[in-house]
Amino acid sequence: MGIDITGGNLIILRSDQELTNEGIANALSDFELPELSISTIASPTGYGAWIQYSKNPLIAGAEELVNSAQENLENEEESISLSNQAIALLGGEEKEFENSKIALTASEEALAIYKEEFYQGIQDNLVAELGLGNNVEFQQREISPTLGSASFAGILQISIIGFILLTLVVFVAFRQLVPSVAIIQAMIFDVIFGLAGMSLLNIPLSLTTLPALLLLVGYSVDTDIMLTSRLLKEKGGTAGERATTSMKTGLTMTLTTLAALFSMLVISYFYQIEVMYYISAILLFGLIGDLISTWLFNAPILLWFVERDKK
Amino acid sequence: MSLLKNPRVMILILVIIFCLGLIFINGGHEDDGFLPGTNIKLGLDFEGGTLLQVELSEEVSTDQINRIANIISQRIDARYDATITPIGNKFIAIQLSETSASEIEKIESRIRQQGQFEAAINGQTIFTGDQIIKILRGDTSFGVYQLGGTYEWRLPFVLNEKATESFKEKTFHQCSAVSFTTTGQPIYNCERTIFFLDKPESIVIISEDQYNLDRDYLFLGDRRLSIPAQTDIDELIEDSQVDVIIYNEDINLEQINSISEEKEINNIIISNDLTSDLNTLLFANGYNVEISNDSTPVIWNVLGGRQIIALTEGITNENVGSLEEATSFSTLYITGQRTSFEEAEEDLEELAILLESGSLPTPVKSISRETISASLGESFKGLVLIMGIVAFIIVGIIIALRYKNIQLIIPIFVIGASEVLINLGFIALWGRPLDLAAFAGLIAAIGTGIDSEIVITDEIMRKGKQVKESAIGRAKAALFIIMTSAFTIISVMFPIIAFSRAYPGIEKLYGFAIVAIVGALIGVFVTRPAFTAIIQKIAGKLK
Repeated sequence: MGIDITGGNLIILRSDQELTNEGIANALSDFELPELSISTIASPTGYGAWIQYSKNPLIAGAEELVNSAQENLENEEESISLSNQAIALLGGEEKEFENSKIALTASEEALAIYKEEFYQGIQDNLVAELGLGNNVEFQQREISPTLGSASFAGILQISIIGFILLTLVVFVAFRQLVPSVAIIQAMIFDVIFGLAGMSLLNIPLSLTTLPALLLLVGYSVDTDIMLTSRLLKEKGGTAGERATTSMKTGLTMTLTTLAALFSMLVISYFYQIEVMYYISAILLFGLIGDLISTWLFNAPILLWFVERDKK
Repeated sequence: MSLLKNPRVMILILVIIFCLGLIFINGGHEDDGFLPGTNIKLGLDFEGGTLLQVELSEEVSTDQINRIANIISQRIDARYDATITPIGNKFIAIQLSETSASEIEKIESRIRQQGQFEAAINGQTIFTGDQIIKILRGDTSFGVYQLGGTYEWRLPFVLNEKATESFKEKTFHQCSAVSFTTTGQPIYNCERTIFFLDKPESIVIISEDQYNLDRDYLFLGDRRLSIPAQTDIDELIEDSQVDVIIYNEDINLEQINSISEEKEINNIIISNDLTSDLNTLLFANGYNVEISNDSTPVIWNVLGGRQIIALTEGITNENVGSLEEATSFSTLYITGQRTSFEEAEEDLEELAILLESGSLPTPVKSISRETISASLGESFKGLVLIMGIVAFIIVGIIIALRYKNIQLIIPIFVIGASEVLINLGFIALWGRPLDLAAFAGLIAAIGTGIDSEIVITDEIMRKGKQVKESAIGRAKAALFIIMTSAFTIISVMFPIIAFSRAYPGIEKLYGFAIVAIVGALIGVFVTRPAFTAIIQKIAGKLK
């Protein structure tokens, strides 16, 4: 799962200067960054790096203390002590405070200054040690774990409702159990193929990959609908002939999409356009899966169904 | 030519002309965040900026989350160009143009910390935000009332004991009778109080030119900024109790040093029209210098000015001779009049939020953020264009190989391009900035568009060859496939729209879903019917 869901920090860098794992690790060695993972790529157009890490334990600890001080504001002594602990943790000196509100403000300020220096420090160190210059191209994300889990709840709900609505549309359109179920199974198969592609390319499940999976459903269902419609609703020729002509149309549809996606995948990988890379990679895998699910699973089921009906 | 008379083709042409107008007439400028020469606004992904997601420590009511969002918007400087949206009952999304880590950290701490509200008169503080016990929102006197042809709003609030005494003392006899009514009642002219929020703890240096500009601006007043006419710049500076130095080619370092020493202040804010030499000089002398990017009236913005409220003779104890005899008022009312109910309500809410700014009703639990540097956004622009062109060419090659007939290939392309154009026209009309997710929605719409055109072409051409079915029957079969396909897209995208304001992060996909749905609808109702008519015509000729 991606940091959108689990929480954490991500920095994506792009530069004309060479970026190496060691160089980046060195630049960040002064900062205590737990679970630091770095991956770099080189392309004909430049260099890129993905840096991922969890929250610095000192900042996490101080934030927790400040939050507790805030929650215990009514309990003067407790709250002042918590604020003082946060200040001390951040390297400041404990003080006698008039009341808990003033102590809280002081601890919040100390935390803000520490975080300001810390994050600016990471950015400055990367720029200075890697020689990135003024025009540094970066993308930075910091997601709290609770925000991530709330987003995940949303993703789940959207996926479930989307699936129900889609099933309804298919059933209303074809009004027959077997063909409708065949379309739904093909769609589920495509999504599984897309997820397999994600796992193969180490693409995390995130807010960026959700649209890709939804798009995949939309795209993959197209060929199934076309095939089902031609086999069930048309009269001319044998079912086999109709399936063959459908395949010609369906393959043109999928191939044009695959070709466009492949070009998007290559460009977005080398230029590190995260959103586009994820979307094109997932769709690419999913649509390859669609070739299998539509023409090797769905088509035989439908042919059997049509032939059985004739008898 | 007969094709042009076909109503479906005519509708398509009219929609294309309309969309061209939407995109290009009065096109915006790149500096204002528009795709140059068009009305398409570019979002954070292309312009650079930061998205903050504020999580509150507990769920609150819809009213309350809207209020918290308003309080936050009061506390973030206008120069950051912030867009603030409540998400569900626990989250607030803030989009900013800022990308510097330290500036973002400053904004974050502004949101987390309590705001410092202050009301001042004659260079003295009357009361501060933490001395306001509460705003009497539930009180019968709180609200907007019709008064003849106008609407009066009333905002009651309660001060603590210390502030009540301070108010009595500092407002005592601050009104003076300037004339009398026909019945002999005196008409008073009263002093004005100035409300500040988050006054800077800095010395402020402003150029003489800017000072003059601000002076005239304040004198004219600006209703939008709650500045009444005839506001005196020197009174504003005096009330703020901030040391403001007017710079005219020379700087008196000794004066700055002595203020700095006396008040233990090491920060200096300078107006952005001052030279970098001054900045360097101050920096060399050990000061932290911040250049204000505020617009005119700079001094009002820098000092945190928010409202100017005149006193009324009822509370300044004009009827008694000495302070000892004066009455203390712990409950005060601020009132104002506007010509419409909505305006009055807006004024009331704005002021209530200002007085409440001392604290967010519910504390912040965490703030998540995402920043894209402006230079990265800039390079995304070109790349996305390249990506679109390459994809279009590759799709073109496959279509050409498959149909090997220019009469069929051209319509597929023309209709494909017109779908892009109509979708962009919608985006321009919609006015929402185009981000990478919305761009993905556009790709989805174009992708399904091309797929549908292949289905229509094959359906009509194949049947043209094989089956003696009516033209209407052939088109109907294609339409069924296209409609079902469009509805599948709509059904998977709809939940995103429905829940985009309910869960954090999902709102990022809102543009994606809207563009994909609108693209599907445009296809079903505009472009694909026209495409069917064109292909039917071509099929007739080819037979």
